Amino acid sequence: MNKNISKEYDVIIIGGGATGAGTARDCAMRGLSVLLVERHDFAAGATGRNHGLLHSGARYAVTDHESAAECIKENMILRRIANHCVEENDGLFITLPEDDISFQSQFVDACKTAGIGTEIIDPDFARHIEPSVNPNLIGAVKVPDGSVDPFRLTMSNALDARIHGAVLLTQHEVTGVVKEQNRVTGVELFNHEIKEKVKYYGKIIVNAGGIWGHHIANLAGVSINMFPAKGSLLIFGHRVNKMVLNRCRKPANADILVPGDTICLIGTTSERIPYDQIDNMFVSRKDVDVLIREGVKLSPALAATRILRAYAGVRPLVAADNDPSGRSISRGIVLLDHQERDGLSGFITITGGKLMTYRLMAEEATDLICKKLSVDKQCETAEKSLPGAEKSEHPLSIATEKVYTGANISQKSAKDRHGTLAKNISNGDNYEDSLVCECEGVSIAEVKYAVNELHVNDLIDLRRRTRVGMGTCQGELCACRAAGLLCESSEKSGKAKDDLANFLQERWKGMLPITWGEGINEIQFTSWIYEGIYGLKPDNN
Amino acid sequence: MKFDNIIIGGGLSGLTCGIKLAEQGKKCAIVSSGQSAIHFFSGSFDLLGKMDGQDVKNPLEAIKILPDTHPYQRVGIENISRLVVEAPRLLDRAGLNFFGKADENHFVLTPMGIMKPTWLTIDDFTRFEQNDAFPWKKAVILNFSGFLDFHTLFVQDGLKKYGVDTQIKNFAMKEFEAIRRNPSEMRSTNIAKVFDSGDALDEFAQKVNQLSEGFEVVLLPAVFGLFTKNVALNLKAKVNKPVVLLPAIPPSVPGIRSQILLRKRFEELGGTYFLGDNVEEGTFKNNRLVAVQTNNHGDIKLEADQFVLASGSFYSKGIVATREKLYEPILGLDIDGDTDSEKWLDEKFFNDQPYMHYGVKTDSGFRALKNGKPIENLFVAGSVLGGANALKEGSGAGISLLTSLHVAEQILK
Amino acid sequence: MKKEMFEPFNSSDNNFEQCVKCTICTVYCPVLEVNPDYPGPKQSGPDGERLRLKDQNFYDESLKLCLNCKRCEVACPHGVKIGDIIQLARIKYSKKKPKVRDMILANTDIVGTMASTFAPIVNPIVALKPVRLMMDGVLKIDHHRIFPEYAGMRFETWYRRYAASKQTDFKKHVSYFHGCYVNYNFPKQGKDLIKIMNAAGYGVHLLEKEKCCGVALISNGLIKQATKQARHNVEAFKKSIVDKNMPVISTSSTCIFTIRDEYPHLLGVKNDEIRNESELATRFLFRLIDSGKLKLVFKKDYRKRIAYHTPCHMEKLGWSVYSTALLKMIPGIDFVSLESRCCGIAGTYGFKKENYKTSQGVGKPLFDQIESSDIDFVATDCETCKWQIEMSTTKKVEHPISILAEALDVEATVKLWQK
Ligand SMILES: Cc1cc2nc3c(=O)[nH]c(=O)nc-3n(C[C@H](O)[C@H](O)[C@H](O)COP(=O)(O)OP(=O)(O)OC[C@H]3O[C@@H](n4cnc5c(N)ncnc54)[C@H](O)[C@@H]3O)c2cc1C
Ligand SMILES: Cc1cc2nc3c(=O)[nH]c(=O)nc-3n(C[C@H](O)[C@H](O)[C@H](O)COP(=O)(O)OP(=O)(O)OC[C@H]3O[C@@H](n4cnc5c(N)ncnc54)[C@H](O)[C@@H]3O)c2cc1C
Ligand code: SF4
Ligand code: SF4
Repeated sequence: MNKNISKEYDVIIIGGGATGAGTARDCAMRGLSVLLVERHDFAAGATGRNHGLLHSGARYAVTDHESAAECIKENMILRRIANHCVEENDGLFITLPEDDISFQSQFVDACKTAGIGTEIIDPDFARHIEPSVNPNLIGAVKVPDGSVDPFRLTMSNALDARIHGAVLLTQHEVTGVVKEQNRVTGVELFNHEIKEKVKYYGKIIVNAGGIWGHHIANLAGVSINMFPAKGSLLIFGHRVNKMVLNRCRKPANADILVPGDTICLIGTTSERIPYDQIDNMFVSRKDVDVLIREGVKLSPALAATRILRAYAGVRPLVAADNDPSGRSISRGIVLLDHQERDGLSGFITITGGKLMTYRLMAEEATDLICKKLSVDKQCETAEKSLPGAEKSEHPLSIATEKVYTGANISQKSAKDRHGTLAKNISNGDNYEDSLVCECEGVSIAEVKYAVNELHVNDLIDLRRRTRVGMGTCQGELCACRAAGLLCESSEKSGKAKDDLANFLQERWKGMLPITWGEGINEIQFTSWIYEGIYGLKPDNN
Repeated sequence: MKFDNIIIGGGLSGLTCGIKLAEQGKKCAIVSSGQSAIHFFSGSFDLLGKMDGQDVKNPLEAIKILPDTHPYQRVGIENISRLVVEAPRLLDRAGLNFFGKADENHFVLTPMGIMKPTWLTIDDFTRFEQNDAFPWKKAVILNFSGFLDFHTLFVQDGLKKYGVDTQIKNFAMKEFEAIRRNPSEMRSTNIAKVFDSGDALDEFAQKVNQLSEGFEVVLLPAVFGLFTKNVALNLKAKVNKPVVLLPAIPPSVPGIRSQILLRKRFEELGGTYFLGDNVEEGTFKNNRLVAVQTNNHGDIKLEADQFVLASGSFYSKGIVATREKLYEPILGLDIDGDTDSEKWLDEKFFNDQPYMHYGVKTDSGFRALKNGKPIENLFVAGSVLGGANALKEGSGAGISLLTSLHVAEQILK
Repeated sequence: MKKEMFEPFNSSDNNFEQCVKCTICTVYCPVLEVNPDYPGPKQSGPDGERLRLKDQNFYDESLKLCLNCKRCEVACPHGVKIGDIIQLARIKYSKKKPKVRDMILANTDIVGTMASTFAPIVNPIVALKPVRLMMDGVLKIDHHRIFPEYAGMRFETWYRRYAASKQTDFKKHVSYFHGCYVNYNFPKQGKDLIKIMNAAGYGVHLLEKEKCCGVALISNGLIKQATKQARHNVEAFKKSIVDKNMPVISTSSTCIFTIRDEYPHLLGVKNDEIRNESELATRFLFRLIDSGKLKLVFKKDYRKRIAYHTPCHMEKLGWSVYSTALLKMIPGIDFVSLESRCCGIAGTYGFKKENYKTSQGVGKPLFDQIESSDIDFVATDCETCKWQIEMSTTKKVEHPISILAEALDVEATVKLWQK
């Protein structure tokens, strides 16, 4: 069945990553009518598959001055506007005996030029402030690194876009671009949920499809030369380090350990892959070995820490137009006005960059859109806080001083996840306070809030919003409970069962490369529960 | 400390093996590092439920065409025919009433509302004759408010296939107010504890009668009788229509009760059960295991004439996988499994996972192999054995029960 | 079996990551069963630890409701040291200062020294109802509690005056860690031990200077002091075990458990050199008998029906088998075993007013079992279990060593090895 919607939006944004969501927010805040379409879910692309490092820019200081300067600027902005998505844990760039200590001064100088505050600290002091650090370090520099939760960040942008009138459609995949002569006028979409095709029209179509932007551009009849670079990471079972740990040397494989929420992440490897492999996010055992080997150099404790998952993402790197071979790849922001570049009007592409710079990318893209639509409004995204990041009325300490009153753990966790929006999660009722996910402290009320407010279609979406199933058990107990609740709200229990099976498969995919030790014990247990006791099978329904 | 027989692992196989030996007057000890997989038990013991993805009708017949390496083949079909009769009797003597036939599977309803073939079902649960019909047309599914481990909508959805008209009702009782204050502990076992003591059951039965008015059958989660026997039967007697209990997410109430009763039976027969102790290593002499050393008893070694290894699968740490290799952690026995770690896992969660087949290697008489040679007095039983994916074929408890009784017979010979 | 170690954060093999979330521990926690305000072993232990490592504000004062009975650890199939994790979290994160009351309860030896010196005065006073009510109101020590009586002459004093000189007559020797209870409240137990050991051919010596094992200090959060005493004791044990080749035995299951396991796990005090040779007297005797090195002869006319209660720390140690095996050797004993359950006292825990209800609730199933079994008395290895059971049931409680001493035919036993 085909449906055509005649309403014309000012802007249609393709892609629900940080860039797309950020652009939707910016456009909506400037008064444009906005439609955002995403084929799967928010943060389902590179945004949800990265390191979550709130770069200070120090990593690029020596090699890429421009990126470094952008990072530190955005870093400071994000701390302000997205404080509930950011952990201000600072970072250390450590020098190990095998590294060249003379790099340190070069590094510090470069940071200074880029405007990044550094502090050279004594190895003893470094061991004191970060007990997990490799005790053999011979030098350390403290920088304002941090961690950023990409799921929350993207969702907050999407929420704010919605608050400002944007329409958000997940599970809608762009399958074609509607053109009238040399002008793009709309998109053709496939709605995965109801398996229907639909068309929407807009004055400007923004390609914020990350690495998939290459394909989307093709649909519009233009070409962008992208070079997918796959990076793999490992998630450890708990937080080993308090501060971000980096190696003080030229960027290399697996040399950043980022603490984030209940876990920590080591990454990344980097490997060019053919474009047709961008949806194959398999992490090889060899990648795992490299990650462990290098990770242990940053923090020896990792050798004895359980690994929960392995995953990979693809960086959207763009070859300069004058160099189709891809030898001089830019890591900076790429904004393409296809009218100027290819003579195709109504179509722009925003890609490249980093999660860190999503806001700046959105700003640049929106500036261009506004220029094209002759709208004269200034960007306010650097000043206005995202929903959830407003100054908190209930500081955490007040919540924790109360003696345990049941909901304590979930309240604290919810506060960490949703910032001030946690106030919309009801508490104080025994039923609503019950824990669905015991590892991550997700209550029924939080699940309900996510289902009602945060565009949740299935369990995998729910995980991105709430961390259900992201803990040590990887869904062993909670998946079923959460599926039951989703089922209540959707009243499609058949779908919920399939959903549960898919969720288990999705969790399994990330566990496959690292399943040994406790992992294999636990997965055997999980299999017995779901397949043995419950009789769940993917083909049951 | 000297015993006739020492069993490593106190799960279903360790306990049934110990009971059989103790019934024959052997002085036995069981060492178990922790509680076992019976704590998660669905309520049914499977013999052989599936073959090539199809439901098995007659397990005794189907067993005959299993590959030679399968533990059942090693027990031998004749022994099996005898032991399938003996097993429920042994359980019965421990106070566990199981019903079912080895030559004809019956069905039980899973919490997903699916009919699953099985062999023996404990008397709490309802046995169904057919996998494509539910005997009642109007059913009420009841759940305790705040109990998250029973998914009424899934049951309802499953029953739709059989044309059953269902309604879901949640209800609260004041006895559960206290435990519901705790956000994570409204678990099946904590509900069961309320019914174990006191007279909440009467009030509850009344409530069930009220709520089920106009329905032919009541469906409830299996949360009756943890430390006390017969609570489920008492409930059924008090409710004025059939009650069908369904398993919930672990911990399993009937499972824990089974574990307790089996252990009690073993101890009443004079057996010694060391819980929370870990067997760490063994002393071998001339291809015999002469003693084992445990964490708690240290230099006071446990000696015996024969030993049984019933330490469970990966889940119970009977088999351990590291990044590169599989090993049997207690005695360093030979492993029946792939040496190439890339081959252990299948990328589809619901496929037949190779690791599920792995276990300790034995000779045809279930004697453990170490460096290729059988250890004369060390037998292996239960899920620590390799040679079958008990999950896929629905043979978990069957393998545990039959190999353990078979091994006990070898020892008694 | 190779031990997998997960100890990047503390000195114990604090291995919360081995938890596979099977929920078994929640079934066996005696506190959870009666007090839903306690989050339970899984939440307080492995689940909570992960959250606390993220942010220590996740620490919850309700963790002090844990009895440290370790029954969860015994049940856990994955060897997660749940009790240790909880105790370590309390040590690391608790901001609550111990109350005066807690200090009094915890300092068993100082209070003991004072009290036993004035025993004739203290005992009647502590027993007086108004005094108990005062303790209840001011100190929040529950007024139902009967304080153990203080003995007039301390065990140490008695030993020096009446026993010490004879001990050198023997060829073989052990040291005895008597603990506070024997010293201040119940010297008879120590005397009974000496009787048995002498009959077995062993001279019994006291350590150079033993200090309270510190279990009550640990559970009341007085960690510095506990650590100091632990270091002192380990040194004292070394002098006996390493220097003089004399093993150390004790009659208190809690003291020995604390010294063997809690010192390294909770206090980070290393005890490798002494651990294996520090044990319970019943285990020491069992080993001798089991290996044929000793035979005990019992009186013909001793007839008693007794039930053995497994204290939580004995359950964790797995050593009740030694005590019961010895008891079963006495021909006139009709032995009843009780289901292993916590009595609820957990040292000083049950003395606190706020815990009284929980404490008695936990113990109830055990008390019911005891009352309904027609026995002469209960045997158990732990002194606090003794107070609790004697207070909560009509039965008396005896230590296995005292029962053995009572039933032993000393002369006949001595004859066997003297000839
Ligand atoms: C391993 C790795 C580590 C990284 N680490 C960091 C870091 O620590 N810090 C940092 O700042 N940056 C980091 N990055 C970079 C960062 O992740 C990306 O630059 C950023 O997330 C890109 O966001 P995006 O929104 O542009 O693209 P994406 O997040 O990929 O979004 C594109 C979206 O478009 C959707 N889409 C695709 N095709 C269609 C279609 N046909 N119709 C509709 N929707 C479609 C996709 O589903 C996807 O959601 C890392 C990247 C990788 C790969
Ligand atoms: C969640 C779950 C549900 C299941 N449900 C069913 C069901 O409903 N029906 C069915 O037929 N089958 C079921 N099974 C299959 C089950 O594995 C077998 O049926 C059976 O319970 C296995 O018994 P076992 O005695 O061989 O091993 P286990 O029950 O695993 O017992 C092994 C014991 O050995 C102990 N041990 C391990 N190492 C040591 C050591 N070094 N020292 C001392 N002790 C040690 C362990 O602590 C454990 O207690 C289920 C399995 C799981 C995991
Ligand atoms: S019993 Fe052990 S493995 Fe199971 S939930 Fe408790 S701590 Fe975890
Ligand atoms: S130590 Fe005892 S009281 Fe504490 S959690 Fe474990 S079982 Fe419960």
